Amino acid sequence: MPDKLGRMSTPTKLTRAISVIAHVDHGKTTLSDRLLEYTGTVAPRDMVEQVLDQLELERERGITIKAQAVRMLYKADDGQTYQINLIDTPGHVDFSYEVSRALAACDGAVLVVDASQGIEAQTLANVHQALEHNLKIVPVVNKIDLPQANPELVREEIEKVIGLPAESVIFASARQGIGTKEILEAVVREVPPPTGDPMAPLRALIFDAKFDPYRGVVTYVRVLEGTLLKGVRAQMMQTGKSFEVDEVGIFRPERTPVDDLSAGEVGYLIANIRNVRDSRVGDTVTDAARPASAPLPGYRHVTPMVFAGLFPTDSDQYQQLKEALEKLQLNDAALVYEPETSAALGFGFRCGFLGLLHMEIVQERLEREFNLTLLGTAPTVEYRVTLRDGTEIPVDNPDHLPNPAEIESISEPMVLATIVVPSIYVGNMMQLSQERRGQYLNTVYEPGDRVVLTYRMPLAEIIHDYYDQLKSRSKGYASLDYELVGFEEASLVKLDVLVAGSPIDALSMIVERGKAQQQGRRLAEKLKTLIPRQLFEVPIQAAIGGKIVARETVPAMRKDVTAKCYGGDVTRKRKLLEKQKEGKKRLKRVGNVEIPQEAFMAVLSLD
Amino acid sequence: MQRIHSLYLHVPFCTWVCKYCDFNAYAVLEGLIPPYVDALAREIELAGAELPIGPLDSVFVGGGTPSLLTSAQLHQLLDRVRGIGLAPAAEITLEANPSNVTSEHIAGWLEAGVNRISIGVQSLQPDALRFLERLHSGTDAIAAIRTAGAGGFSNINADLLYGVPGVNLARWLESLEAVLAERVQHLSAYELTVESKTRLGQEVRTGLVRMPGDDEQLAQYWAAAERLETSGYEHYEISNWSLPGFACRHNLAAWHYRPYLGCGAGAHSMFRRTGGSTDRRWNVNGPQAYIRQVLASGNALAGSETLSAERALGEAAMTGVRLLQGTTSTDAFPLQRRQLVAAGLLMESDGTARLTRRGVELANQVGAAFLG
Repeated sequence: MPDKLGRMSTPTKLTRAISVIAHVDHGKTTLSDRLLEYTGTVAPRDMVEQVLDQLELERERGITIKAQAVRMLYKADDGQTYQINLIDTPGHVDFSYEVSRALAACDGAVLVVDASQGIEAQTLANVHQALEHNLKIVPVVNKIDLPQANPELVREEIEKVIGLPAESVIFASARQGIGTKEILEAVVREVPPPTGDPMAPLRALIFDAKFDPYRGVVTYVRVLEGTLLKGVRAQMMQTGKSFEVDEVGIFRPERTPVDDLSAGEVGYLIANIRNVRDSRVGDTVTDAARPASAPLPGYRHVTPMVFAGLFPTDSDQYQQLKEALEKLQLNDAALVYEPETSAALGFGFRCGFLGLLHMEIVQERLEREFNLTLLGTAPTVEYRVTLRDGTEIPVDNPDHLPNPAEIESISEPMVLATIVVPSIYVGNMMQLSQERRGQYLNTVYEPGDRVVLTYRMPLAEIIHDYYDQLKSRSKGYASLDYELVGFEEASLVKLDVLVAGSPIDALSMIVERGKAQQQGRRLAEKLKTLIPRQLFEVPIQAAIGGKIVARETVPAMRKDVTAKCYGGDVTRKRKLLEKQKEGKKRLKRVGNVEIPQEAFMAVLSLD
Repeated sequence: MQRIHSLYLHVPFCTWVCKYCDFNAYAVLEGLIPPYVDALAREIELAGAELPIGPLDSVFVGGGTPSLLTSAQLHQLLDRVRGIGLAPAAEITLEANPSNVTSEHIAGWLEAGVNRISIGVQSLQPDALRFLERLHSGTDAIAAIRTAGAGGFSNINADLLYGVPGVNLARWLESLEAVLAERVQHLSAYELTVESKTRLGQEVRTGLVRMPGDDEQLAQYWAAAERLETSGYEHYEISNWSLPGFACRHNLAAWHYRPYLGCGAGAHSMFRRTGGSTDRRWNVNGPQAYIRQVLASGNALAGSETLSAERALGEAAMTGVRLLQGTTSTDAFPLQRRQLVAAGLLMESDGTARLTRRGVELANQVGAAFLG
């Protein structure tokens, strides 16, 4: 019999490790919450909606950024009590590597598909990943209680598109708790128990790591072979570093220390690790005294995909920003940064992110948790520039693009984009993708009026408003997934912007030569609407290689005077002016001109 | 606390609340005026006893439409004011709607102690008056000025509005000309300002009314300024002109950042503390709530704020720069002053600073420079 923590005494054959996978918003986290509740892991009265999403931001946005893990005990209909380890995975394409590692730590996956939305791009991507990891899939059609739900059709889709037998599909409503028991029964019945040998040399997969200010890094692991004991010297097989293990434990869902974690179990270790970089997702933990011969497969060094400058609007906050980035990085191995100096924006940092959501989250956390006011420049990808002398340099800042005379060629990162969309929007999607330099690869018609389009296209196009356009041109129905597939040479030039005669380095962008002039015009027009009127006229120019291709002018402020200023008017006016002044703090003063944050993002949406 | 020498009395009643008005004014409610006057008299009396106030250099009875009061009611109020103490030759202003300016009223007002009258002419153009929902005609307005003069007022102000939709520059100047022909001692010309919470605000938002552009409004403003100057009027505040010696002392005191007491519904007071901080406080807006509160507790305070000495200096500079003859109120801000001079918004002479032409047009930008 297991004790109340479910430790040790659960025989391996009664252990399961699963993940819940779904397209964003299909109800993955709500379903996870129901499982926790049903198994009594969390008492309903302690149930904060979405227990597993722990960051404040995650709750607010209803998304999962970091993976979570929790151990549940479930007394099944067969009379046995099973230990089910649930790993909740991030639900956004930015974090797909984290998803893949979380899946690698599982033996099965509960696939959640929304009963009204059906299969979407991330559903497919997740299923492919789950199959790559040989996971047993338990398909669930969720939200069957919604009026627009069509569970039968979605079930058919699951059979035809994914190849899972229709009769294995469970109908559920996580919100109402329908189907929870059926899902748990299917998990214990269908998902195989772990097969690792507890006596073998230790191999534990790191699928997440979190910084705790009191304990250092908490490393989330699944032990695949051997046994992880408190007190051993844990060695990270990729980085080679080793640390004394102070504590091993499980999540119930709060951290609960145990004596050891043996093959098949999911839990954590604490080993006085000061930085998440030393506890990399995908790395293998072994026992330094009795190391495994090879690490687990699939480790990948996570590299940022998009880059942007972050500058304090108040230059006095530079040091605070630096410290904030250091702190944030302790918990976010994917975040990279280095100091950057902009003639226009002063001192700041060039930061690398996994994607746009990651970027947004980082900026928001910096502002919110560290009380900073930041100005972010438009995100860009990393180009590879080959110079005439044959050397190749990476360029992640458009302003750093060398002089055209020195450039032999420029390559840009390419992605394989998968778009899933109802057939009536196929034309719109194709048109959009072609406008964005997409190379058409394939169309597959699936049941349920679903078309899967694949394109090879520049990542730079994806980060430039592509996703929003995709959504708006499909009335919100299209979904997108993409993966990096390499670099490709392209004909690109640098577009510069001059405001009041001075080049604003932070507004430079790298664009396709053929579209450069048109983009320059649009950018100048857009900036005209975004830069507020100043006391004087402000000319805006776009230039390619020193040649002006567009010019607009923000006229000077004409009139700002209050006619009546008596009695209470004074207070009203002072408050209004103070408020305007407060708003101005979000503007960045470049020379004499005050430029709002939106202007720096203008380059993202020029269509 | 600095001694107070200015008193404002608010009368929040109007026969009709015009669509552009965002003052604290209510269409007159029968039977409400007498208890309101009683409450106002009580507030004056109690505040007078409590505060370091008087002798008063100026009293301003504004609204609303204070000319709706009977002479007896006005008398009642000014008797209480005299209880505080009036300086010899104190300026006592009454705002009046042209429709109420009759020779009987004039006699009664003079008798009550009023010695300055401010007449809400607004415009002489029938279209404009209709647009503004004024119930009087241009003829009524001119007659009111004449009646006041003939009745014995030798300090008369006319309020005018420019930038009214449908009134072009030439027709605006016609109105101005006709008022000047009456040789009023003082003239206020206000741009018709669209306040979002008014019916006009609503009409502009929905596109029903289109306001003249900035250029047109400024053209009307500067044309009036020029015309007034050639007639010997001194442009002493952004929207105010007077013949020499007739600047409104009550308003000057406020722009010079001197303290004042405001009594009545929604009235604001400003007190100066030793050490340089400023207290601002204001009364409840609704006349009925005002009456209730004064009867219950002797005052009708709704809120207050205290500005530190530093912020008070900024506010003083913000109001002070509106005085176009030059101000020392910006002395505490040498850096901002230099920047504003460099930007062409301010000029310096004889140790004072004053707005340039462009500075007048962007006076809020100038004022904002002194705020934290």
